[in-house]
Amino acid sequence: MARIANRQVVQELKEGNRSGCAHLVGIYQGMLVNEAVTVFNLVQEDAEELVSDVLLTVVQRIHDFEFKKGDADFHAWVMTIFKNRVRDLARHQSLSEAVVQRFDERGDDGELSRSELEVIAAVVRQYQDSLRGDPQDNDVAGARLRIVAETLENMESWERVLLRCRALDVPYEDIASYTGKSVKQLKVYHARVKKKFVAMLTKGHPGLVEQLTERK
Amino acid sequence: MKRDAIDRLLQLAYLEGAVRTRNAYERAALKRKPSVAVSEEKRLALQRKLEQAMGNQAVTEVRALTIGALLRRIRAEQSLRPPEVFSRLGLSSNHYQLLERDRISPPKISVDVWRRMRTLLNIPVEEFSEMVRRTHQLVFFRPAFRTTLARYDGKKNKAMKASTLEKATAELYAKAKLELPVDEKAKIEKLLKSIAAG
Repeated sequence: MARIANRQVVQELKEGNRSGCAHLVGIYQGMLVNEAVTVFNLVQEDAEELVSDVLLTVVQRIHDFEFKKGDADFHAWVMTIFKNRVRDLARHQSLSEAVVQRFDERGDDGELSRSELEVIAAVVRQYQDSLRGDPQDNDVAGARLRIVAETLENMESWERVLLRCRALDVPYEDIASYTGKSVKQLKVYHARVKKKFVAMLTKGHPGLVEQLTERK
Repeated sequence: MKRDAIDRLLQLAYLEGAVRTRNAYERAALKRKPSVAVSEEKRLALQRKLEQAMGNQAVTEVRALTIGALLRRIRAEQSLRPPEVFSRLGLSSNHYQLLERDRISPPKISVDVWRRMRTLLNIPVEEFSEMVRRTHQLVFFRPAFRTTLARYDGKKNKAMKASTLEKATAELYAKAKLELPVDEKAKIEKLLKSIAAG
């Protein structure tokens, strides 16, 4: 399908024109299902249901949407709704013990040591505890996982960008243009920067693992 | 792409808003070629679902001739922010938000504000009175709406949420057509007379 301009899709949806739905599904269904499956590791059925919810929200709230800066506003708005839905699902899943166990086991590339995994699991446990108050309370959302943001702040700018972007599967080529480093350099340093991040997390918060061990 | 615990933790931080990517992720998502295929059947099913939701919305909009619905519609059409409207009406932010969501009984708002609103929106008296009357009915019967909604909400199926809400809203509007008690009716008629007198 030829790429339809965002403004046209929005106009069609606001006018109640059915082709707006076809265009919206054509542009976003495949893209968002792909993101949910490949980036956020959702099962395809769950991903399809989530994307269906996202697009339904877009149609229902289209009258609240306005272009402010440019054409990309609509994409940013859809992605925000998508992100919020994935977050709600993550919060829901985080309330189960299985999530901490998942963070406590070896990663796909097996480069993390047992002690490093324990640190990550401890952070996730803290997050899980904060959710138990009220999972839908967005006011405390900033406080959740602040520890991660604080640790990133203490790293070099390019390291921060590399970690954040690679976690979300942003291509090395894009990261290279943001950081001024070469793709080769970034690929080589990615694993090292991860190690540095965990080391800083552990050093900055020495009580983390003990807390988790005590709970076990 | 292979993912480890650090990536998953950073993702969680991103989803919770603790970590930002300055739209780098959103831009990357737009450029990526999907590697997961969605069947044509599912694509059509979703399209039908959205068209149905769009149709339901249109029905609701026509039905929703209350002051709240009118203010929401005008604000959306003219891209106005709430302060731009409530400052002109001489209303407080709280009162305006309640009014826009049909959550405040019209007699609780001063006659001057109603007159100002009618002049500003340039609506004939009869039409305006009917909208105020409808708003009053809607607010009066709203507790019943909550009961109705709770009954529908018993169905936990997420996919049915939208149609559930639609059914509950339809029931509320049906209830809002019921006669008001005599004292409530007197209150609203007194208000409408005062508005028309201005």
